[in-house]
Amino acid sequence: MATATLLRHDGHAEVAERYHDVDAVYGETRDIRLVGFVLILLSDCILFSSFIFAYVFLRLQAPAWPPFVNGHQLAWFDTNFAAVNSIVLFGSGVTMHFALENWKHLNKAKFNRWLIATIVLGLCFLGGQAHEWSTVGINWSDSTMGASFFTLTGLHGFHVFIGVCFLTILGLQANRGVYTGSKYFGLTAGTLYWHFVDVIWVGLFFLFYLW
Amino acid sequence: MAQRIVPRPNEVRFQGLGPGFWQVTAVLVLLCLANAWYFLYGNIDWLMPSASNPASDRAMDVDGLFKFMAVFGNGIMILVAGYVIYFSIAFRARVGDAPDTIGRQVHDSPKLEFWWTVLPVVLLVVLTGLSINVWYKIQFGVAAPGLTAEVIGHQFYFEYRYPGLKTSVFSKTEAMHLPIGVPVRILITSADVIHQWFVPEFRLKMAAVPGLVQNLNFTPLRAGQYSIECTEFCGPDHSLMQGKLIVEPVAAFNKWLETEKASAAAGGGALVLTGGTADAGKALFTTKCAACHNNPPTPFDQKLVGPGLLHITNDPAHPNLVDGKPPTPENIGGIIHDGFTGDIGTMPNAQANGLAGKDIANLVAYLVSLK
Amino acid sequence: MHAGTSTTHDTHAAHDHIHPAPEGFVQKYIFSLDHKVIGMQYFIFGLLVMLIAGSFAELVRLQLTDPKGAIMSHNAYNEMFTMHGTAMVWIVLIPLVTGAIGNFVMPLQIGARDVAFPWLNMVSFWIVPVSGVVLFSSMLFGGPHAGWTEYPPISLADGTAGALWCAAIFIVGISSTMTGMNFMVTMIKMRAPGMTWTRMPLFSWATFATALMNMVATVALSAATGALFLEHVFNVPFFDATRGGSAVLFEHMFWFYSHPAVYIFIIPAFGVVSEVLPTFARKPIFGYKLIAFSSMAIALLSFTVWAHHMFPSGLAPWLQLPFMILTYAIGIPTGVKMFSWVATIWGGRIHFTTSMLYALGFLITFTFGGITGIFLASVPVDLHMHGTYFVIGHFHYVVAGGAVMGFLAAIPYWYPKATGRMMSERLGVLGFWLFFIGLNGTFLPMHWLGLEGMPRRYASYVEFAAANPDAVFWNRFETAFSFLMAASIGLLAFNVIWSLKHGKIAGMNPWGARTLEWTISSPPPYYNFKKLPEVTGYPYDFGQPMPYANTDNDIEPYPEYGKTVMPTATPAAVGA
Repeated sequence: MATATLLRHDGHAEVAERYHDVDAVYGETRDIRLVGFVLILLSDCILFSSFIFAYVFLRLQAPAWPPFVNGHQLAWFDTNFAAVNSIVLFGSGVTMHFALENWKHLNKAKFNRWLIATIVLGLCFLGGQAHEWSTVGINWSDSTMGASFFTLTGLHGFHVFIGVCFLTILGLQANRGVYTGSKYFGLTAGTLYWHFVDVIWVGLFFLFYLW
Repeated sequence: MAQRIVPRPNEVRFQGLGPGFWQVTAVLVLLCLANAWYFLYGNIDWLMPSASNPASDRAMDVDGLFKFMAVFGNGIMILVAGYVIYFSIAFRARVGDAPDTIGRQVHDSPKLEFWWTVLPVVLLVVLTGLSINVWYKIQFGVAAPGLTAEVIGHQFYFEYRYPGLKTSVFSKTEAMHLPIGVPVRILITSADVIHQWFVPEFRLKMAAVPGLVQNLNFTPLRAGQYSIECTEFCGPDHSLMQGKLIVEPVAAFNKWLETEKASAAAGGGALVLTGGTADAGKALFTTKCAACHNNPPTPFDQKLVGPGLLHITNDPAHPNLVDGKPPTPENIGGIIHDGFTGDIGTMPNAQANGLAGKDIANLVAYLVSLK
Repeated sequence: MHAGTSTTHDTHAAHDHIHPAPEGFVQKYIFSLDHKVIGMQYFIFGLLVMLIAGSFAELVRLQLTDPKGAIMSHNAYNEMFTMHGTAMVWIVLIPLVTGAIGNFVMPLQIGARDVAFPWLNMVSFWIVPVSGVVLFSSMLFGGPHAGWTEYPPISLADGTAGALWCAAIFIVGISSTMTGMNFMVTMIKMRAPGMTWTRMPLFSWATFATALMNMVATVALSAATGALFLEHVFNVPFFDATRGGSAVLFEHMFWFYSHPAVYIFIIPAFGVVSEVLPTFARKPIFGYKLIAFSSMAIALLSFTVWAHHMFPSGLAPWLQLPFMILTYAIGIPTGVKMFSWVATIWGGRIHFTTSMLYALGFLITFTFGGITGIFLASVPVDLHMHGTYFVIGHFHYVVAGGAVMGFLAAIPYWYPKATGRMMSERLGVLGFWLFFIGLNGTFLPMHWLGLEGMPRRYASYVEFAAANPDAVFWNRFETAFSFLMAASIGLLAFNVIWSLKHGKIAGMNPWGARTLEWTISSPPPYYNFKKLPEVTGYPYDFGQPMPYANTDNDIEPYPEYGKTVMPTATPAAVGA
């Protein structure tokens, strides 16, 4: 009679050890959600990469850059303003990090302050983008420069807007007691998403303002 | 849960690799050899048109590749299909089988797996090498082709342009001509949507893409009349976009070209330059000029087929037009009207381009407005 | 809510608890969270749209019986082949192979109670009919005309219909991406205890490779159709050469997804064949590891070959080379699998059920399609064959003769598990021969018509017929045989419905197969497994006892073919 040789993957004992202050049920649920969320962010990366590919392709095969519209060459973008706006966004990444840390250390008041700071900085970034869009002097349909710039920064801005809504909802939930000191996957997801939005902006800032 | 202890089930037994395995293998190998013989020495004209009497050097090359692939590809097909059918018969369940009869419990065979991985890799490496050789000849051809002709795709006809010919040959009314034995380079672009220029008997096609110039290199070998087809969907009348190609001896080709040039010199109408607007000219530029000149217009050196026209009136590096005259509206209009031929290439005349009435005035107004 | 909070007992892990049963018609059948019901919803919807898209194909074939175009205008014909291709690719095939079979089978095979995100699974299904409505509504606005590839600039002439086409594809892409993520997480995190990766059944491996491609590639299509939509509606010049855009850019963005897409069709079919052949030959799959890993290799390589669809289309010459080489390379893992399958049936004891017939037929027709793919992979040869009927012959052999045959093998195989009834074997075998003969008759002549130079997407072919007098005969021949395939699918639909009432009652394991889904009742309870089974070995050893412990039902140690086994005892009470 063969003895069953059991090889455990991610055994329940190991999960329980990793989440020593919560039950293994929650631990495995959190793991599943985290893997899923990270995979979705990966897909989102590919979405941005596809549009970035389009921009790079169009730029490399253009006879001149910035391109000519109606016989006049378009101007380069204003790096200084965008740099300031970038610092605002990266700053919001820092504040979000502190918000999560404070939550983990069970400091709800500080968490709230850092979260609000993040949301405010995020809104400032969006305001900055609105200003940039209205003063950039090119439009969406006249050139590939406009096509790629507005589409990519628009997609990114849309992600920031969703992020602001997401963080607001998380803040309301946290204050209603949905999350505890040990069960706060929503906050982890929100923080990850917000950092993702920052990383994408690093790429876009380089591609449009530094290159 | 208690497991019932039962004796080991009924594993099927047979000699060697199966009943009749080697006989079937011999038959399959013979079929592979017959296939190889047929493709290497038989007449495959029904499959590849004019394979026995190639129309061009590239056609010979491609047919050689095709035959190599047919020998091995069909061979693999014969073996796979043959063994599937044979195994299905030889190893079928019999009516009298015990219900717990099972097949030979083999998991793998590293040696077999090694060979059936390595041999296809070797085959594909050889195929890659053979393909690269032909690929190079098509894409790059000879350093100095005897004839460079242009094909411009339109909805729904092809326009052919030849060096020194200020008019164009249109597939709706005339055949394209090429000389025998001369290495030809075809430059292909489009005036509107993507088309493809395909001559089955040459085994060649290339896309006509707006904004890009692509090329093909080959030498026609056999006189005759061939079909040209558009093989990229280009609109409602895509199915009606065909043409004829006539390949003829060099003397006959030259004579035909001279006749075309003579007919281009005559006709044209007066040049009118008043009343043109830059806006109308800009729209015309997109439909009539963008196939060969970059749109939006670029500096002179950024060529598509013809030079960039951005600084046509004020380029310090090129203070005059290509015909040496100063860039006044009259002279610009003159080139558009009469066409131009020179070292830089050939531009069709207004008649070939379908320009009439105020078109030239509009175009001149637009070009002059560019700075 | 969750049952049990103990942290130490084995049976109380996150995926171990059993949700309360769904109640009410809506919860049970409309917005069900049960992967099995969702799988069946995908199946029903996919089959319905297959009948519609297939009818469009028949109209296309009827048109070509006369070189002048027998039944419709050029415009109508262009719309027909465009809708046929678009609907088949995105509303039929992808939902059927991943959503229907993947959803139903994979969680059962890995010993899970459901997928990782059941609610997302339900939403992913309902997105597909919405996308179908958007796609077919485009026909009210004239319909798209430029083929399932809808290249700009010509596709921009489609106006509103073109924008709706873009929107429909974008929407269905969300479903594929979410399903891909869902399946990956399920297989990474929710396999039964003891099921290491190398003990996972091959259909689940195939589903994993497919899910990876779905998740990564589909967003590239969303970008392509999104950009095209922006160009349609807001005149944004991505692809307009007159404003600096590039038509070739669309081809790159489109094919970066659409090449992995064809592997998304075929790899689940590979998985089905890898299950069906061992079961009906009563022996292990040959080269399990090679087959499992080659699916992953194909999934990864599939992202590197897209431009072989663009050899004559505007690709820089030097770029053609790496794509040619990589396309050859991807033929190796595919060929290796084929040889492994042939070795699987060697030395077996073969039962010719409907599923087995389709699997054996697949071995022949898919090999043929694969070989013609090797022809097309060579740049010089492709410059002759691209855009001709040779390509149509090639891809229908691999899609209809590959993916669809795999799907047709899966249906009679798992229908008993899903419904508790066997499908009619007689109708199934008849359906197989109709399909197999019909497929070969329809698509084989396309190869020589294409080599002679017959272009694709031609609503009429007067000039070609004048130069090639046999063209009319072969086109009519193809049309006649296409009706055999249509009849086969119609018969399948009938069989599916008829067998619900009249099929023989199926037990737990009518085929004597060895993967986990055959250790639970047919149909399974909504929670699949009362106790999560423990896996002690790899599934395909017909000579070894079943490698499971702690199963809900008593299982035969050596399941026999054709013996419908009813559970001999009621499932033991679970201490939960």
